[in-house]
Amino acid sequence: MTVESSNLVEIKNLNLSFKVYGGTKQVLHNISLSIAPGERVALIGESGSGKTVTSKLLINTLNPEQIQIESGDIFIQGKSALTMSKEQREALKGSVMSMIQQDPQTSFNPVFRIGTHLLDIMHSGDKNLGIKQSKTEQKERIFEVLRKVKLLDPERVYNAYPWQLSGGMRQRVLIAMALLHPTRLLIADEPGTALDVTTQNEIIKLINQLVHDEQLSLLMVTHNLGVVRKTADRVYVMQHGRIVEHGTVDDIFASPSHPYTARLFDSVPKLFHSEESVEDKPETPVLVRLIDVEKRFATKKNWKGSVINEVLAVKPTSLQIHKGETFGIAGESGSGKTTLARMIMGLSELTSGNITIENKHLDAWRLNNENRYSIQMVHQNPAASINPRRTIAQTLNVPLKHIAKVTNRKQEIQRLLKLVELPPEYADMYPSNLSGGQKQRVAIARALAANPKILVLDEPTSALDVSVQKSVIELLEKLQRQLGLTYIFISHDLSLMRNFCDRVAVMFRGELLETGTTQDIFNKPTQRYTKALIRAIPVISDEEERHKPKISDEDALQVLQQKY
Amino acid sequence: MNNNEPRLPNGLDEFSMTTASKQYSNIGRAWYRFSRNYAAVIGLIIVCSVILMAIFAPLIAPNPEHAGSFVNFRARHLAPSWEHWMGTDNVGRDIFSRVIFGYQVSLALVVGVLSLSVPIGVLLGIVAAYAGGWVEQTIMRFNDMLLAVPPLALALAITSILEPSLINAMIAISFLWWNWHCRLIYQLAKSIVTEDFVEAAKLSGASHWHIITKEILPNCVAAISVKTTLDAGFVILFGATLSFLGLGVQPPTPDLGTMVSTGSNYLPEYWWEAIMPGLAILYIILGFNLLGDGLRDFFDVEV
Amino acid sequence: METLYYLSIRASRLLLVFIGLSIIIFVIARLVPGDPARISLGPLATQEQVTELREKMGLDKPLVSQYGQYVYNLFQGDMGESTLTNRPVLTDLQQALPATLELVIVAVMFTAIIGLPLGLFAAYRPNGWLDQVTRVTSLVGVVTPSFLLAIILQLMASMNWFDLPVTERISSNLDAMPSYTGLLLIDSLINVRFDVFIDSFQHLLLPAFALSAAGIAQVMRITRSSMIEFSHRDHVDTLRACGVPQKLIHFKYLLRLSTAAPLTILGLEFASLIGNAFVVEMVFSWPGVASYGVRSILHKDFNAVVGVVLISGVFFIVANLVIDFIIGLIDPRITQKGK
Repeated sequence: MTVESSNLVEIKNLNLSFKVYGGTKQVLHNISLSIAPGERVALIGESGSGKTVTSKLLINTLNPEQIQIESGDIFIQGKSALTMSKEQREALKGSVMSMIQQDPQTSFNPVFRIGTHLLDIMHSGDKNLGIKQSKTEQKERIFEVLRKVKLLDPERVYNAYPWQLSGGMRQRVLIAMALLHPTRLLIADEPGTALDVTTQNEIIKLINQLVHDEQLSLLMVTHNLGVVRKTADRVYVMQHGRIVEHGTVDDIFASPSHPYTARLFDSVPKLFHSEESVEDKPETPVLVRLIDVEKRFATKKNWKGSVINEVLAVKPTSLQIHKGETFGIAGESGSGKTTLARMIMGLSELTSGNITIENKHLDAWRLNNENRYSIQMVHQNPAASINPRRTIAQTLNVPLKHIAKVTNRKQEIQRLLKLVELPPEYADMYPSNLSGGQKQRVAIARALAANPKILVLDEPTSALDVSVQKSVIELLEKLQRQLGLTYIFISHDLSLMRNFCDRVAVMFRGELLETGTTQDIFNKPTQRYTKALIRAIPVISDEEERHKPKISDEDALQVLQQKY
Repeated sequence: MNNNEPRLPNGLDEFSMTTASKQYSNIGRAWYRFSRNYAAVIGLIIVCSVILMAIFAPLIAPNPEHAGSFVNFRARHLAPSWEHWMGTDNVGRDIFSRVIFGYQVSLALVVGVLSLSVPIGVLLGIVAAYAGGWVEQTIMRFNDMLLAVPPLALALAITSILEPSLINAMIAISFLWWNWHCRLIYQLAKSIVTEDFVEAAKLSGASHWHIITKEILPNCVAAISVKTTLDAGFVILFGATLSFLGLGVQPPTPDLGTMVSTGSNYLPEYWWEAIMPGLAILYIILGFNLLGDGLRDFFDVEV
Repeated sequence: METLYYLSIRASRLLLVFIGLSIIIFVIARLVPGDPARISLGPLATQEQVTELREKMGLDKPLVSQYGQYVYNLFQGDMGESTLTNRPVLTDLQQALPATLELVIVAVMFTAIIGLPLGLFAAYRPNGWLDQVTRVTSLVGVVTPSFLLAIILQLMASMNWFDLPVTERISSNLDAMPSYTGLLLIDSLINVRFDVFIDSFQHLLLPAFALSAAGIAQVMRITRSSMIEFSHRDHVDTLRACGVPQKLIHFKYLLRLSTAAPLTILGLEFASLIGNAFVVEMVFSWPGVASYGVRSILHKDFNAVVGVVLISGVFFIVANLVIDFIIGLIDPRITQKGK
């Protein structure tokens, strides 16, 4: 079946099910989507929305034995893909559409060199297109593409094993893989999401430039509205396997009509507000004081046990955290922010320096039984921080029994659940019955059960969808007001800190770059790195874009180069 | 890892998560999922049939008195017939009756060995993984050493010191067997102790004992049950090999390995005397294996 | 250089294993009830004779110094005297070792040559006909005791289902030839005696098969499941999305990634392989170390027992070093990632 169409790709009223455990489960409901030549389209949705399935269906990497197309059709260059032979369908890969894989960490076979991957892809594509070339010629073409994705030393990349390259470089190789042969549609599944925000920004820029230069169509699959704004002309919004809204980026960003889309926009934390509400919190006494705190890890020891090689995880750092405030420690992976927090918690020994809490030395302070467990922590991923084999009540029981020494624990559990806004009947459930956001609430309740003075929040929302993220942050704000807690908030997500933290410290490669009130850091950052970091955050309005600190491209580049 | 269950494509964990959790929460559905694995159901039937035979041996066996040192030279070396399903042996005893009583001995061996070695292995494995440092080094290096000895050689050496008997065979096999459980659980627990929920439990003031028994152990139960089921078969195999070499249960107690060993003296004319008890061993090992494989697919664990 | 470093680390760990092993087995051997000197001399010997032999064997000294003496002697090439054969244990072992070595090496080759490809092809189409067939065969292989398989093979041979020898290493009617390695397959090639080569290979076939069946099944299973496991990884998707054909992904990318698991298993299985050799050698009257070991255990000949177990340990350790080396070649991460 063929239809006259100007569209490069068109999905029409498609219903798709997975065969699961003897039954079927419908995952795509009546999906319709089209991409014209040269058009940039975004597909946005949260986890489980079916956006990745849709993209995999297009490129045809779903296992045919596990899926069942109930109705509808896919047209590629006007031809029905469902009636194509397997060979015809295979031949489209790399010549009509190419896919950029999501995760640079897992997308390479670790026992083969990068070059082997590239050469095999080149070879398969050439075979489909009927090109016959020697290996050296193919290699030369590969090098050319590698240069195109700004890998300036293609020889080294070609001969490296995947694990010898940085995440950013690997992501570039993934892009190169998609561009080895002239193609018409580029499908990008969350490119750079696994990377640091500055690197991610570079990757997005690169994709934009390539799409422009090669006049490609783009299907950008993402969960980030900021990325949509930067990369797409039109956008499809997906929820629970349905497309709930679509239109041009301008229209939808100006006035989202579906309630889900509106909620999505609402939950994105604003980087800059038009009217700044500067509520001055009264100055409170210093609670935690770090004086020249330093941490080294030994990476290699000789046979006698003395250290040969070590890394400086945290360079000498001094800072103060006041009682009742939310203190943010910002930084990308490897910046030392988590190590710093773990030292405050007493989970990690200091190499040198001093930490005092309530003007007592940390060890002395913790010796007081009352303070022993007074610093609690909420971990990043609730799926990992809550034991899947224990009920919620059993989990909450532990701190109540060992720390708070409560006698009427049943009642106390009910109180805690109410505090984190969970229904009381959840007490007898297992974590697998709860959603990610609900699990994180349980983790918060467990931390509160110990009656903490300080709560360390280790990226508590990074494993959650944006809409859930917002409600968890609101809960944390409410609890702080009610219980007078001091928060230490560790995150790489600056826009989240913007609205949540009172003061922020920016860390980079183990070094504390600057500390200040949130307003100061965002409005008048002094360090080049801080500027680059804020600038790289994808935002959803022109106004926010304008408010970003100015930094020249050269400076931004230097910051990036410093990283590797 | 069996592939009877279709796996979901990559990146679709959210679907499998919700589906799987619903499956686990409901015993009826769990049974449905298990029962669709025919091999596992056959395994369960085999295991149950052997257990029932062993329990009701005096009632089921056509000639219960043949289990002991019964002698009837007129009926020796009779080929399988309606009267003697598996034929008779060199002193005229009904092999089928002896096989049924032999299962009693095999199952006793399994229960003895596993109830000794599994708790020890599991506990040491978890302790090694959780404690780390010299405790871990001591336990695991000792483990490495035992691994390098051919198990049969060590078992033979031990039983020869202790004089061959059922109890001593149990002790010898247990001495080797804890090692494998220890390794498996160690590797599993090693990855569990790095999980955030263990740290969270420590922050919640939990004792070491609490963490070992309430946080880590429940997450090992699936693997332990699969491994134990599979092992039941291999313990029988191992015990049979020991007694085949004359170092297991001593006559006249009916033991399947000994029966094969004795019967093999009369090959090839009276083939049934070795082959029939041999097939009986195979039957029970097969049962435990099918069941264990089925459980492994069901729980989706690596052992 | 990295490979050498990695291997030396592994080797030193295995050396530690060996030392520990020698202690364990030495202690166990000395725990044997009954007086070895008395057993060796028989019931008719006088008490003086027994005491004299005890002193000669060093049995009157404490266990620690006995062990020290034993290790010292070991480095001199002296493993003590067998109380059963009244010959040095080392001589006995030297005589018996080649037969076992040949049997075990051929069995391991069977395991790798049959097990790996079957698992590889079975995983190419999970639940296809080949997969179903291999699954059933591997199940049978895993659950069949090797002594039963050995007996069934002998029975089949005696019923003339196939014409293969079922006892000893070589037919007695063949002319003798000079021995260099003790391994008949290799000696016959050196001497250009193809009749001996074929004859000894025929003798090897049944015992080696009986010995390797369980291993074949095990390796087949692990290879298959490891291939299937890896085929769900992201990097497979990467190649598929870029149009690399399934065949190439399976037989190049997945193959290399998946061989480490079955090879490791093969290494660990070595111990039980040697253990099973005890049974198989008994059934097939194979004049190897294992049958020597069973006899010495039954006669409480402890110098011989210690010798046999130590030799098995060396076997295990050398085999695992070789396997570590191969895995290091296959997976560059192991040797290079440290940097």
